[in-house]
Amino acid sequence: MALADVCGLKTNQLKNSFLSDFGGSSTHLLDDALTSTTNFTVPYGIDPVESLKEFTNPKSDVKIHFDHGTTTLAFKFQHGVIVAVDSRATAGPSIESQTVKKVIEINPYLLGTMAGGAADCAYWERVLARQCRIYELRNKERISVAAASKLLANIVYNYKGMGLSMGTMICGWDKRGPGLYYVDSDGERMSNNIYSVGSGSVYAYGVLDSGYRYDLSVEEAIDLGRRSIYHATHRDAYSGGVVNLYHMKESGWEFISQTDVFDLHYQYKAEKEKK
Amino acid sequence: VNTFSPEGRLFQVEYAIEAIKLGSTAIGIQTSEGVVLAVEKRVTSPLIEASSIEKVFEVDDHIACAMSGLIADSRTLIDRARVEAQNHWFTYNAKMSVESVTQAVSNLALQFGDDDADPGAMSRPFGVALLFAGIDNKGPQLYHMDPSGTFIQYDAKAIGSGSEGAQQALQDTYHKSMTLKEACKSALTILKQVMEEKLNSSNVEMGTVTKEKKYHMFSKQELEDVIKDI
Repeated sequence: MALADVCGLKTNQLKNSFLSDFGGSSTHLLDDALTSTTNFTVPYGIDPVESLKEFTNPKSDVKIHFDHGTTTLAFKFQHGVIVAVDSRATAGPSIESQTVKKVIEINPYLLGTMAGGAADCAYWERVLARQCRIYELRNKERISVAAASKLLANIVYNYKGMGLSMGTMICGWDKRGPGLYYVDSDGERMSNNIYSVGSGSVYAYGVLDSGYRYDLSVEEAIDLGRRSIYHATHRDAYSGGVVNLYHMKESGWEFISQTDVFDLHYQYKAEKEKK
Repeated sequence: VNTFSPEGRLFQVEYAIEAIKLGSTAIGIQTSEGVVLAVEKRVTSPLIEASSIEKVFEVDDHIACAMSGLIADSRTLIDRARVEAQNHWFTYNAKMSVESVTQAVSNLALQFGDDDADPGAMSRPFGVALLFAGIDNKGPQLYHMDPSGTFIQYDAKAIGSGSEGAQQALQDTYHKSMTLKEACKSALTILKQVMEEKLNSSNVEMGTVTKEKKYHMFSKQELEDVIKDI
């Protein structure tokens, strides 16, 4: 095929999806993406692992460049979890959007963040939302953050090596209190009090770690989250736009604010000058 | 097993419908304010933990389902309804309509047989009738589904052992301008008439689906409040 040759793709033998359908039920009829959401039919003649190596290898002939610029952070404290994200999307050196929603509202008491491939995060977190709702209906109680993050981690592990790019933080409040898990497309799943993901995370961690205490008040925590994202957007070229901030409480999440980093820059500058 | 008789009947399906006539009575009533489902629990022993008998289920927050017949058979159907409703939400980002959910479940009804064509399929039909109650953009609706897979919309329907008497009573008392409160009272009154045991807050289950409160299961206290008015 001409396009395949131009892209340098090596076509293999017929290979269909080897993943079994887990979680959802499927009839013996058509198993396509419409009726069976956890099962993908891989296009014929393509071995995903081999062909996707072309995209991730910088020396390859394929010039499509996936960009993973972003800053997202979340931290647990005595009053719940603060989730703060930027909103910039880049394609190489071009800013494609300053208004991306990088917090995914899975359900009223679970939030997921988006870092890496936007489509990967949005799609699989929607699959997670569907799975969490079915859990709720079958067990008559909300799913725990640990279980929800495990569901997601196990789903993406099936696609390990096939080019999924996803670094997400699953945040919620369940009977064990505030919950925060980091899940990524390598199959990693960890829990801790503070996480930051993305190209700007190094800068965010600096501010976050220096200002963090478990016993912060709600206002102090919100300010810390906002400030950390701002500093990341200031130094990281691939982060910017607005800071979207959420607070996860026992009663569920609440959207706190959307602030342009441009405004924050002059606000913090003025604060420094006042001292 | 699933072949026609000379008179053109499917005996297995008819026998399944007979099985439902032995089941506990369930009543569904649709009003402009919402739909109510009430079921007789049939607690056969004082040692039974009555709260573990569940015959009204949530399918999604805007659809509930009551059953009568071989209760165990309904578990598969309820789970199918739940998964279909979530798949619909996943693909179309909208709540599945009551009729669509009912239709999706009815697709399972006739998938039985003993031939090799479909190994893993059921050997017999489901021995349970379902009442799907919900609200969508067409308003409150009540659907009855039987083992043949036929589903019909009703304003008010009774299924199970006391269904003949209950259905007649519903025909006498139902009117289009009924309020949900009147319907709840009516459902319990009719259940009381056809139930063998004395009706109380522990041997019945009642649930409503309204636009504001969505799916709501009556607590023991709420049941007692309705019962005392009868």
